[in-house]
Amino acid sequence: MTGMVEDFDIPSVDRGEVLRYLGHAGQDIPPDLDARIDDAVARCMEVARPRGVTRVFDVDLPSSSPGRVALAGAALTLDGRDISAHLGGATAAGLLAVTLGIGIDRELRLLSATDPLAQVVLDAAATALVERAADAAEALLVGEAASRGLFANDRYSCGYGDFPLDEQRSFVSTLDAGRLLGLGLTPSNLLVPTKSVTAVLGMFGEPQPGMPALCPKCHCHDFCTIRATGRTCRG
Amino acid sequence: MGNASVSTSSVSIHAPEDRLRPRRVRVADGHLADALAGRAFLLLDGAMGTQLQAAGLEAGALPELLCLTDPGAVTAVHAAYVAAGSEVVTTNTFGANASKLGGAAGVGEVFSAAVACARAARPRYVAADIGPSGSLLQPLGTLSFDDAYDLFAEQVRAADAAGADLFVIETMADLAEAKAAVLAAKENSDLPVLCTMTFGEDGRTFLGTTPEVAAATLSALGVDALGINCSLGPDEVAPLARRMLGWAACPVVVQANAGLPSVVDGRTTYSIGPDEYCRAVGRMLEAGVTIVGGCCGTTPEFVRAERALLDAREPVSHVASSDFCVASAQRLVSLAAGEVGVIGERINPTGKRRLKEALRAGDHDYVMGEAIAQTRAGAEVLDVNAGLPEIDEPATLVRLVGELQAVSSCPLQVDSADPLAVEAAVRSYPGKPIINSTNGKASSLEAIVPIARHYGCALVGLALDEGGIPATAQGRADVAARIVRAADAAGIRRADVLVDCLTMAVSTDQSQGRTILEAIRLVKSQMPGVRCVLGVSNVSFGLPFRELLNATFLAAAFGAGLDLAIINPLNERLMDAVAAWRVVNAQDEGAAGYIGAYAGRAPAAGTTRAASSAAEPPAAGQKASPGDQTPERRAAELVIAGRRGPMPEVTEALLAEHDAMYVIDQVLIPALDEVGERFERGTFFLPQLMASAEAAKAGFETIRARSAAGSVPSKGKVALCTVRGDIHDIGKNIVRMLLENYGYQVIDLGRDVEPQAFVDCIVRNGIRLAGLSALMTTTVPAMAETIALLREQAPECKVMVGGAVLNPEYARMVGADFYAKDAAESARIAAEVLG
Repeated sequence: MTGMVEDFDIPSVDRGEVLRYLGHAGQDIPPDLDARIDDAVARCMEVARPRGVTRVFDVDLPSSSPGRVALAGAALTLDGRDISAHLGGATAAGLLAVTLGIGIDRELRLLSATDPLAQVVLDAAATALVERAADAAEALLVGEAASRGLFANDRYSCGYGDFPLDEQRSFVSTLDAGRLLGLGLTPSNLLVPTKSVTAVLGMFGEPQPGMPALCPKCHCHDFCTIRATGRTCRG
Repeated sequence: MGNASVSTSSVSIHAPEDRLRPRRVRVADGHLADALAGRAFLLLDGAMGTQLQAAGLEAGALPELLCLTDPGAVTAVHAAYVAAGSEVVTTNTFGANASKLGGAAGVGEVFSAAVACARAARPRYVAADIGPSGSLLQPLGTLSFDDAYDLFAEQVRAADAAGADLFVIETMADLAEAKAAVLAAKENSDLPVLCTMTFGEDGRTFLGTTPEVAAATLSALGVDALGINCSLGPDEVAPLARRMLGWAACPVVVQANAGLPSVVDGRTTYSIGPDEYCRAVGRMLEAGVTIVGGCCGTTPEFVRAERALLDAREPVSHVASSDFCVASAQRLVSLAAGEVGVIGERINPTGKRRLKEALRAGDHDYVMGEAIAQTRAGAEVLDVNAGLPEIDEPATLVRLVGELQAVSSCPLQVDSADPLAVEAAVRSYPGKPIINSTNGKASSLEAIVPIARHYGCALVGLALDEGGIPATAQGRADVAARIVRAADAAGIRRADVLVDCLTMAVSTDQSQGRTILEAIRLVKSQMPGVRCVLGVSNVSFGLPFRELLNATFLAAAFGAGLDLAIINPLNERLMDAVAAWRVVNAQDEGAAGYIGAYAGRAPAAGTTRAASSAAEPPAAGQKASPGDQTPERRAAELVIAGRRGPMPEVTEALLAEHDAMYVIDQVLIPALDEVGERFERGTFFLPQLMASAEAAKAGFETIRARSAAGSVPSKGKVALCTVRGDIHDIGKNIVRMLLENYGYQVIDLGRDVEPQAFVDCIVRNGIRLAGLSALMTTTVPAMAETIALLREQAPECKVMVGGAVLNPEYARMVGADFYAKDAAESARIAAEVLG
């Protein structure tokens, strides 16, 4: 049942992004605080182990209906107006799950008892980092779409719009993410380790309107597998 | 599930005498008995999921349901393995627990059908397969140990009733969960138990457990075989299996994957075939592995090749280490004969006012701070004692033991005189703990030794009995001999028995110093294999400069054969003695550790480090500049700038001229108000607010340390928690920080808190303001539930709520009195309610 687990090499997170999560809006940062933010971000990079799994399924058109997308070979249906719109017209869907591992949760817990400020900063850094890991997994799926002659749109996660958080459970089982990544769920469908993301994107026969016009602006830029071939995800 | 409160309900399933009775295993036949004794090989089967998927099972579907809907397909997989030579087939029940089945089918009916599917293939033995629950256990997840136990116990009873021959508990990544499953199997059935865990390339499970830790813990728990499944290919697993063999007093199992996976044309394929697989298995057999099979990607062809391999070989016996060892889920602490270790003594309320207060209030962060500080100072094991007459000791001990796992990797020593508290704490402990203690009294041995045996613990035995502490060395050795006989009779290994010869003050009887050292020598020579433990600091009672006497006595005790010292690891003089002894006894190889720590060190020593791990020495350039400013202005500026380093010094200067209330009301609070306003206006962002709160806190701590107890009045108590089901605690922690700074006493119950547990705390402490935090829409109902319960049982208590998903309308909807949009707002609300 095991699929492939990818280790993502993400050397840094964008400090501006971390500050944004911390509510920074241009305030002066005193040097002491500046150094502590650097330390917490460095600690995050040291402890985190970004990894992920991806899998592509064909859309099962006969079994799909308005407000519901079924996937062939997967015991998973994607229910809701918003996710149906996001995947509307797609011929395949790419699923991803990424995590930074339990080490970050342990570190956050330790800091909760000893240094709440560092906990807040490390939490922000980890949030930024897990989104980067999701970018990396998304880039793999975008590459997979290109290899099938398809065009991917952006990833979409449970809990967005009317796409229920309960679907989290199906994502974890369909991707076998419990076994492969150590992902578990709480009864309220939160992922543990807490710095984890699941998402789905659509793969279409035509380029999608939301696709970035310029590679440097793309959030997958650093992880792109297509550019090296001399092409882009737009064709 | 999601139960944060401590319950020992499952402990009461059987009367203690039943549960703790020595286990008699029901083994199907002589061959299986030989295999479980390591005298014969046992061949399991290969992958089930891979085979079912090849037959068209959808990704994410519950394969267990096929036992009901398509039993023929399941039997066909089993039959192929039987034909290939498997002696044991494993039922298709990996995820057949009530949580994962989620009502799609009953646990009983799935096991009944699954065992029938397996039997229909006519194997020699049917193993009931039990996989992980799918939820992470507390403290990092929300599933309680007891709820996990209940899930597994239901499977165990169903499998036994369905006629399985043994259990295979497999693919475990969490040692706590593995332990819950093993106990569920041992306590609800008398069938043999195999337990395997899964490891990554780093040699650890997802939760950080190493092969040594897994082997030492599971072996002590009394499983019939332990090992590794899934994980990696056999070449990668082989070194991990070798690491397990050294700590396994039972056969070792390996079921590896067929190499590493890759996806080709949308299908997962594996890198190696049966021949290469068997070459690696052969090397593991030579090392002492005796039970094999396969996991992901393996097929009947792999099993057929293994059959041929086993038929051509004889089992190789392996010898488990006789070293002392204990383990947390993440760390094995072992001591070969002659090596010494340190047990940190600070989590013990005896004579510690601040710790007593923290335990009474349920403020466990203080205890966590003590644990972190001792771990950083070099303790290898932490003693945990919650013995205060006015608190529920079993519940507190269980909760502390649980929470400590998240902040320290040190194995724990559970310290209590109450057998109920001891059992409750060691039962859910993920690892192999030490029990402190039993003694030579018959009643104590009868109560404690069976607990140590059943839960696989090391055991401290105090050299005292009904007649008190014997005055002579031989008298103590005689009591120790009685303890060791009781442990021997229970089958507890010698290295797991730690005798404490009991330190007495030399100021009252000077002959005691030599008596204790002689008692250690006698125990070590008369009871080979037994270890000695000793708390040393009593020796200096009543004398000046105690740490010098303590350190000298410690060195002498090491010389007499002491293995583990129970000391304050924050005391540098004592840790210096430990470091130096480790050079003398050649434990510190090449004195590398000593040289690293002491090269260039000045001779002045003997100070005790600050306990608070958050304490920060004033950094260069951070000195409070005397200048022309008044101390009032300097203190205010430090708070506003968020610089905690110089705060104690400046606060001292203020206290030289003013009383405590002046400093609080005229200096610190106005500065905090200023910070709050800046945050409100957006000229400060969150980390600045928090840095200011830290600086103010440093000032408050200086004031408290200088003032007599009770002379700094509290403005009132506030209780905080993150509600049940929610594991986010950052917002709540910020609120706590700020409220404490405004002079409120905050009782923080943590995260994922049961409504009733929270309300109980409110009622018990007569609290008038409660703060609830929820971060997810899915946990807001738990907030409403908590408030409804509060209205019913503590109607006078006001409630404020906050958290990312809340807004004023939501707050009204859940029935709160106040909505706190941020931490600064919570301080204003507290002022309104409590003054």
